[in-house]
This record gives sequence, C-alpha cells and structure tokens, in this order.
Amino acid sequence: MRAVTTIIESTPLTLGELARAVGAEDQWVVRLVEVEILQVDAPDEPPERWHFRSDALQRALAARRLERDFGANLDTAALILDLQAELRRVRALMHAHGLA
Amino acid sequence: MDFKDYYSALGVARDASEDDIRKAYRKLARKYHPDVSKEADADAKMREINEARDVLSDKEKRAAYDQLADHVARGGSPDGHFRPPPPGWDEGFEFHRGPGQGPADHADFSEFFSSIFGGRGNMGGAPRGPYRERGEDHHAAIEISLEDALHGAERQLSLRAQEIDAQGRPHLVNRTLDVKIPAGVRPGQYIRLAGQGLPGHGGEPAGDLYLEVRIAPHRLYRVEGSDLYMTLPVTPTEAALGAHVTVPTPSGGHVDVAIPKGARNGMKLRLKERGLGGKTPGHLYLLIEIALPPASNDAARAAYEALAKATPSFDPRMNLGA
Repeated sequence: MRAVTTIIESTPLTLGELARAVGAEDQWVVRLVEVEILQVDAPDEPPERWHFRSDALQRALAARRLERDFGANLDTAALILDLQAELRRVRALMHAHGLA
Repeated sequence: MDFKDYYSALGVARDASEDDIRKAYRKLARKYHPDVSKEADADAKMREINEARDVLSDKEKRAAYDQLADHVARGGSPDGHFRPPPPGWDEGFEFHRGPGQGPADHADFSEFFSSIFGGRGNMGGAPRGPYRERGEDHHAAIEISLEDALHGAERQLSLRAQEIDAQGRPHLVNRTLDVKIPAGVRPGQYIRLAGQGLPGHGGEPAGDLYLEVRIAPHRLYRVEGSDLYMTLPVTPTEAALGAHVTVPTPSGGHVDVAIPKGARNGMKLRLKERGLGGKTPGHLYLLIEIALPPASNDAARAAYEALAKATPSFDPRMNLGA
C-alpha cells in the first residue's frame, strides 16, 4: 500500500495534531510551551497558529513519559529534558574529539 | 507465543499494592534508562518493564491479566505455549486509558501484549449506540541507511496493525506499507503517514502513523544531527609537511582535501555543507589520525633513525616533568 508520506519538517504539526500524536489534550501542550519544554516561533500568537517540528514531538513524548513514569511535574520534566540534551551534546563533543 | 509474567518482570508479588508496583517500576526504569544504563540489554529490559507497568498499574487490565494467568496456570496451554484468547475472553472488563497513557506508549510492546490488549485502551467507556471517534495516532521507528537519508528512497515497512472486523472487534493483521524517505532526512525526525494509525469508529477517519527516523551505523561516517564525522588517516609526512589527499564524500563522489602543514592528531577539518541535506545542510568533519608506517625493513628503520637525528631537541614528554 502506498501511503501519503510527509516529513514533519516540511509540514509542521498544529497544536491539535501534536496533542493527538502524544495522546494528550491541547491544553497540556500549551503548558509545555509555558514551561519552555517546547519553543514556538511566535509565542505571542494564539496557540491555534503555533507550529511544531520533529524536535517538539520528540520532547513532548519524552515529557509525557517522565510525567507518567515518575510522576514528574512539568517544571521537573523541563529540567530533566534540558539536562538530557546537555548530556547528549557533551557526549557528541567527546565523540567528535575522539574521547569516547 | 510465550506467556509473559509481568509480576516477575517488575520483581513484585502477585498481591503487590499499586504503590509497590509504582516503586518497583521507578527503580527499574532508573536502572535501565537508556541515557544512564551500562547494561547491554537496557533497551529490551526497558521495553519489558514498560509493558509490565502498563498492564499492572491499570486496575482493569491487571484484573483481566490475572484472570488469564489463572487460566494458563490451570493448564490452558498444554504445550507450554500461550495462545491469544478467543474473542470475548475479556467480557466484564473495561479498559480505560488512564492519564498519561496514550497510543505512543504501545509502539514497542510485545506480540503477547498486542494479542491481549491491542487497541482496547481506546475502547473503554464507549457509550452504547452510535459512537464516533477518530482513530488514535500510532508510533514506530524506521532504520534507514545513510545513503537512503542522503539521496531519499522508497522502502517497504512491515507492520502489525489493528483492524476492526464486521462485528466491531479489533484484530491484528500484518500490513506492508511503501514509505517514501525524503532526501536529506535526519535522525530524530518524524515521517508522518496520514491515515495509517489506528482505525476510527463510527465512520471517523483513522489516525496517523509517525515513524521516527533512525540511521544505521555506517562503515565510514558517524552521524551527529545533520553533521557527519569521518576519521581521516594521514602519514606523519603528510601531517608534518602538508599534503593534498583524496577523500570519498557521502554523496558518492570524491574531493581533494588540503592537509595543513603541522597537522595534529585529532585536528578537525570541515568540508562545508557536505553533511546531511535539508534547508540548512550539515557539514562533513574529517578527524585527522596520524598513522605510523611500520619500521619493517632496513630502509624504513634508517629513515626513522635519520628523523630522530634530525630533530634532537624534539621531546614529546617534555611536559611530564620526568
């Protein structure tokens, strides 16, 4: 079967599509933007005009798991996700310099 | 199909409280978290405990699972293998999707899980009579070669998917999808296949399928985001005096690269926009690695000795203070 394929980078997700993709309510995604787990290009625009790309889907899924698996509130999840990103950046740097 | 013992997966007793299950899960999830775990089978363990938690932390699923476990213990499978129960085995149970539980969570679960609970998270509490709901979105991963990521490709993907039969019961079918991989895709990006998620109810459309792109390890190149890294071996002569060397590029061609005079081990050379494509193409980084020619004949030995004589003040251990 030939499926209609799009890459999120070329057709970003709306707020509702992102919420549905992670099995959440729209308001939960708005909270992710408020605590800066997700960045939007124009935070002052109304949420229905926001757009999200692959990195947002990845972070929203990760936040959902932290909330569910460890009972983390979203501020704690934001800190953990930032630390994870920093860990990956440092590991990539170590790889790049042949240190790992 | 083997029957899965979710209690032993979490290391808890059959009569464990909700709190015991939560504590056991959190302890194991920290142990096997892919970012911190040193265990070789961390990914598989994580999938196993996620699946066990999904069932045991949900009262309704746990009760249904316990009933099934009792059935198996009473000799429900004479050959020792588990067979999916017939339709209707779960009558009297309702499966609700709890807070934080979504379709995304089930992508990696086992065939055993799918045969028991596949899709029921969506059905609990469904009102009698006309019931309309769009199908849930589904998640999976697709591993492609670096070449496919660079040039784009069309790949076949086999998926176990759920369909609703004429009686309104879900059942699993094997599906093959042709997936178009766009050129320039990067690891961690998602490809969305409209209408390939879980089926809708009451004439509503199916959900979408999201495929997370992973790139298989490559013989020469290592992928970091949109950048590529390659180790470039050079001779001591090339490193000391500078040289021009020919290097293969990921797109299949070759390029002439100038090694600067006095190049050091670990030095990084950047080939601009020779990484993965897209709107802002990544770069190709060459990591210099100085390879020593073996002193395997008289001429080579004499050349090393001549080099030592020519550089009497060179002391690589000067900073050791010895």
